[in-house]
Amino acid sequence: MGDGEPIYLDHAATAPLDARVAALMAACLADPTLQANPASAHAAGRRSAERIACARAEVAALVNAAAESIVLTSGATESVNLGILGTARAAGVARRHVVTSRVEHRSGLDACRQLEREGFDVTWLRPRPDGTIETSQVEEALRPDTALVSLMHANNETGVLTDVAAIAGLCNARGVPLHSDAAQSAGKIPIDVESSGIALMSFSAHKLGGPKGIGALYVRRRPRPGLQPLMFGGGHEGGLRSGTLALHQVVGFGAACTLAGAGLAEEAARQHALRGRLWQSLQAAEPLWRNGAEPALPGILNVGFAGIEGESLLLEMDGVLALSSGSACSSASAEPSYVLRGLGRSDLAIQASVRLSLGRATTADEIDRAAALLVGAVRRLRAALPPGALERIA
Amino acid sequence: MTPTAVRYSVRVLELFRTLPGAGSLRGSPAGIATGESMALDRGAWVRFEARVATGRIVECRFQAWGCPHLLAAAALAAGRLVHDAAGQASRCDAASLALELDAPAEKMGRLLVVEDAWRALLSEAARVQ
Repeated sequence: MGDGEPIYLDHAATAPLDARVAALMAACLADPTLQANPASAHAAGRRSAERIACARAEVAALVNAAAESIVLTSGATESVNLGILGTARAAGVARRHVVTSRVEHRSGLDACRQLEREGFDVTWLRPRPDGTIETSQVEEALRPDTALVSLMHANNETGVLTDVAAIAGLCNARGVPLHSDAAQSAGKIPIDVESSGIALMSFSAHKLGGPKGIGALYVRRRPRPGLQPLMFGGGHEGGLRSGTLALHQVVGFGAACTLAGAGLAEEAARQHALRGRLWQSLQAAEPLWRNGAEPALPGILNVGFAGIEGESLLLEMDGVLALSSGSACSSASAEPSYVLRGLGRSDLAIQASVRLSLGRATTADEIDRAAALLVGAVRRLRAALPPGALERIA
Repeated sequence: MTPTAVRYSVRVLELFRTLPGAGSLRGSPAGIATGESMALDRGAWVRFEARVATGRIVECRFQAWGCPHLLAAAALAAGRLVHDAAGQASRCDAASLALELDAPAEKMGRLLVVEDAWRALLSEAARVQ
């Protein structure tokens, strides 16, 4: 981005659509030979189906899965709902217990709340103050009637990672499927679903440079978890997700996965270094603190500035730096982040927190300019604080 | 995580960006009145300092923590208080601040904190004069 354009550090909300992906999608939409329904048996339909198959394989390759284990959906929210509701409802009357955490994405939280309404007993794990969920917490929560464990791979607000491989091992030993929401981590750090033993994993295209409106649910083949569909009408996607696939969306998703997978480890290391540079530069605005700790995604930094009110900081940054606030207290109904609350942060500390999330296009120059903008804004707002506010608003 | 979209009036943006009257008074503490109100659970904390001479507020500063509307309202109030007769200023109630700033209804609670601080200042200014 040029000097006059806002610096975009909100990739965890959505990543810009990669121009190469956009071009590929546009070409698909314009190609008269790719307009047939991929479920149709005729030659034109088979041509569409072949493109779908190629794209599905690209999605699968990003996480070392078999293409047949990928169920295409409308996005991570649908994937998470299918993974949680579908698995729990298929578990039968003897298994009516679910384990999850208080800091899941709303799609996971709300799906589990729906299960409570349906009579399931849900254990809500509380993270450690550093944001981590320990394997031992899951072990203590498991019961003979546990139907499902669902935990995010990486938290969307703090980036803190959960050791899903260790938890999957624990769950598999008890015959309990583990679902993990990997909307934030896929394409950011290496994921290997085959070796980790995870039963179900949810993905989103638009977090990794693909289009909005498409995602996937990985469903392990052996042993295959029981799964009830949420939608009916045509039996697409192995009967798990009925509805005609949007070819250009699927092709865009596949291409984005291939692009994200290229040089993944190197890109993760680069973003990790940039995040460290950002954190170091922000020390000029101390007192400040980091919400969440390592291990975490390389591109997410959730930071609180003592004495700062989030909405004012966001307005200071309006038009120059895109970021997310830890609080949405600017309307009557909104509440401070439940994720940061789950970490034990006070409402005041949450109001003082912002999330900065980096992406593939983020440069060192942007990081330096973003840090300078934030430090300047924090200093200006602090200059107007009443005596003692710096100590109390933290 | 993403904040609810808030519309800010031109007046709010102007005051927020410049924060006229922000800070504290310098010099002798003689003749200085203060007024403060705090509602941290509502995201609001305002403190006014005014220099009173010959029965009038001759200088006023504010310090505040809160949203852009609150900061703008505190700046607006501090500016209005100057030249008013101590104890008789009357145009910094929440309703009039909201009207001038075109503030949404959900900000009224915070503007009431500004009003409380203003009333506390007036009360003390009347004693200082």
